[in-house]
Amino acid sequence: MNRTRFLAPIVGLVLFFSAWELVVRIFDIRPFVLARPSSIVRYMARFPDDYFRASTLTMKHAALGFAIAILVALIVGAAMAASRFVEHATQPVLTLIAVTPFAAYIASVKIGLGLFSDKPVVFIVALVSLPAFSFAAADGMRSADPSSRELLASVDASRWEVLWHLRLPSALPSLFTAAKYNTGLALVVAYLAEGGAGGLGQIGARAIAANQGDRLWAAILSMAVLGTISLVLLNVLQRAVMGWHVSQRPQRD
Amino acid sequence: MTSAVSLLGLRKSFGSLETISGIDLEIDEGSFVSVIGPSGCGKSTLLRVVAGLEPASAGEALVYGEPAISARRHKQVGIVPQHPGLLPWRTVRANARLLVDINRKANGPATSEPIELLERVGLGSFLDAHPHELSGGMQQRVALVRALALGAPLLAMDEPLAALDEITRSEMRGLLNQLIEGRNVTTLFVTHSISEAVALSDRVLVSSRRPARIVADIDIDLPRPRPGDVEDSPRFFELCTRVRHALLESARP
Repeated sequence: MNRTRFLAPIVGLVLFFSAWELVVRIFDIRPFVLARPSSIVRYMARFPDDYFRASTLTMKHAALGFAIAILVALIVGAAMAASRFVEHATQPVLTLIAVTPFAAYIASVKIGLGLFSDKPVVFIVALVSLPAFSFAAADGMRSADPSSRELLASVDASRWEVLWHLRLPSALPSLFTAAKYNTGLALVVAYLAEGGAGGLGQIGARAIAANQGDRLWAAILSMAVLGTISLVLLNVLQRAVMGWHVSQRPQRD
Repeated sequence: MTSAVSLLGLRKSFGSLETISGIDLEIDEGSFVSVIGPSGCGKSTLLRVVAGLEPASAGEALVYGEPAISARRHKQVGIVPQHPGLLPWRTVRANARLLVDINRKANGPATSEPIELLERVGLGSFLDAHPHELSGGMQQRVALVRALALGAPLLAMDEPLAALDEITRSEMRGLLNQLIEGRNVTTLFVTHSISEAVALSDRVLVSSRRPARIVADIDIDLPRPRPGDVEDSPRFFELCTRVRHALLESARP
């Protein structure tokens, strides 16, 4: 059973990359449109340090923005859960952030915060990740069991104690769901916002300018690997802190 | 004997809906008093007012001479709700400590380490288990320990055995008697079960239909400590019959 679970994804990936390789060879597709997996790997093997450094930097941009978004969202979410007025005042702003295409204002933010600096990248990642985290935090905190809330009221718990002992743990399931959604988004935003700030985004932008297909696809594949690693780490963290939750317990068929 | 609870002309309304209509009552320190009455008659509201969770609309509710809301702030009331309300992310040990861990400055000298209590109720080998690993009866035992560990002189129990099967209820009745006897704790117990009320109490108060009034006050003169076979004694059946007649009388329109 465990062997099957371990082998199945490997078989799936081998089939996927084989089909990719075959399609590119049969239809003789230009590398810029779709490079062959074998030539992508060969290209990456020629410059392993460059890709490792760039991946680390992109990961750092995404993780920093992600962490800032979570911190701000916990404060915003707690305020939204505690006050309908704050919720109604905050909702339109968060919706505006969520629906405005970030690609449209990347250039303005970069000019404002520094074209070659990390700051605009981290800022945009945090801004784009904020709405999903805030809504998740507010909904999760509000879903805290009413009988538990009353129990805490029976010993005159302070707002902080209710937040720490009840509302925050109640919000964990929805926060993890938002985190899974935001992981891919944060990496995409970091990639697109990087430009001159280094990272895989810079490699990708330069590869497009120089019409280097293998280089571009090596950056894309590195992004896919980063996304996969991030999701695996997130799942491990979720299992560690949410082992008590029904979603993390073994399921019976 | 000192009064643990004094209700003086107590009234409670929610808008135009009157739920408690002028109750005057004294409950002696260390006694176990059950309130029984038709569904929706206001028994739970009465308990919530005594526990300081709802303000009285008129009259007064005093707990050890202090207004009920102020007694709640000083952790003078330990609540055992109908549903255990255990926090799923806390272990049995941590759940049992919950009320002690909150609003620590109000902890009294009688606050006790719950591990010994957990061992007494047969949960010594489940200290690090989470609530989902326990049966309903075991969860309710943790809820009971959580209230007792607080060391509050008044226990307010709202149908704590209602969700349990008959065998577990019977075991829990014996356990409650064992735990409370000799502790000088006053207990206000709301229930629908006549046999439960008689088996546990020193006094059974029968409430009218809504708005609640006390229509019968029956002394339960069964020996203390209660023998294991108390529910088989003729006197137990006589008292149950008396309570049942009073209850039927109270339910008449």
